[in-house]
Amino acid sequence: MIHIITEDNRHLFRHALMEMHRHRKSVFIDRMRWGLEAPQGLEIDQFDAADAVYLVETAAHDGAVTGSVRLLPTARAHLMSEVFAHLCVTGVPRGARIWEVSRFCPAPQIAKGAPRQALLARMIAGIMETGLLFGMERVTFVAGAALAPLAMAIGWDAAPLGPTMRMGRERVRAITAAITPEGLNAVRARNSLTGPMTRFAAAVLPAAA
Amino acid sequence: MPSSRVAIEFMEKCRAAASADAVRDVLFADMAAMGFAYVACCSHVDPLRPPPGAVNMINYPAAWLARFSAENYAAHDPVFMAARTSAVPFFWDDVLKGRRLTRLQRDILQDAAAIGLANGLTIPIHSPGALPASCSLVPGPDGVDPLQVPAVFLMAVYAHERARALLDDGAHALRPALSARERECLALAGAGKSDWVIGRMLGIHERTVHNTIERAKKRYGVAFRVQAVVRAVLDGQIRIDDLAD
Repeated sequence: MIHIITEDNRHLFRHALMEMHRHRKSVFIDRMRWGLEAPQGLEIDQFDAADAVYLVETAAHDGAVTGSVRLLPTARAHLMSEVFAHLCVTGVPRGARIWEVSRFCPAPQIAKGAPRQALLARMIAGIMETGLLFGMERVTFVAGAALAPLAMAIGWDAAPLGPTMRMGRERVRAITAAITPEGLNAVRARNSLTGPMTRFAAAVLPAAA
Repeated sequence: MPSSRVAIEFMEKCRAAASADAVRDVLFADMAAMGFAYVACCSHVDPLRPPPGAVNMINYPAAWLARFSAENYAAHDPVFMAARTSAVPFFWDDVLKGRRLTRLQRDILQDAAAIGLANGLTIPIHSPGALPASCSLVPGPDGVDPLQVPAVFLMAVYAHERARALLDDGAHALRPALSARERECLALAGAGKSDWVIGRMLGIHERTVHNTIERAKKRYGVAFRVQAVVRAVLDGQIRIDDLAD
């Protein structure tokens, strides 16, 4: 199950969020050697803030975090505007209905290959469900050479924002994808997903009027 | 090291505190509000018989402190040992798992965990002229928001320095003068900006920012930039308000 975690309900998910930042440290810093900082063993960057939306998948049997991704509003400073702007040929897409996806992080115990690809498909379905819920029209993201082809072919309507470029040790490319009900159906169909991936838990549900 | 509102308000309350006991009360209250059930911001000494000048702000269960004192655990506590050799904050589980521990040290950890002192976060405090110290924080059952953790670092170091200053108000700490650029860079670092961001804001190279902050650290003789920020706030060279985002 993928939990949609926002400013309103993040107090219910402190343990899961802590585990997510721990996973991000072991995946992005220890394994992939990205030049990020993680004092106290948690990878937290300048864009992690209360207004970000996190999708965190947990295992049904023990609640362990199996994967996570971050959604940032593009009206404020985000990765694409501050770090990857040169990857967008016609400028960084920004607006209230455009969100940026970053920090897709399979838990360290998720094996390479099929299990990680299946997680990616579930997460993208989760992103689209969340996007439809929050009124997003499209998302932007930067993908490395390994992830870009997978993300392009997962079923949604995705298009590159510019050419593949070398940054440090990686070849990266900026991509945008439309958030539509048809796209969600296509992602579900192509990846054999049935029904919604996401849940939105709230401490107190407002009573119906 | 982003200074959230919480950290800034905390520092203001500490600065207004007239005694080390008042700093302790603020520390316990604000850490509890963030979800930490237990706090031990202290010099590495016998908690029930602290020597003069020792910082001793601890709300661990009384029975544990009695045992800690009777068995002289201060000399063996693996968390204290790790704090002494670590430059950065650490979660107990991350640091202690890979270490070679004595039987006594394993017992200390196990028995502490049995009474709820588990999965703590420790901020080492290396302060010139002070006893070796650290601030250990144990999350309660509801956990702690990870976005608060960087602020906790600043709060712990500030509380320790403030308590120490109040305990030892006869002694005058050296007050090295910072250059305008050093003050500017430290204040921005204290507001959570990276070297790269500070460089862009001031129109100087990231490397220059780094070197400037290193120079300020050297003036204070401290190991971390957060300590230099705290010293500069305590001796009035930067204002707490300057740390707001």
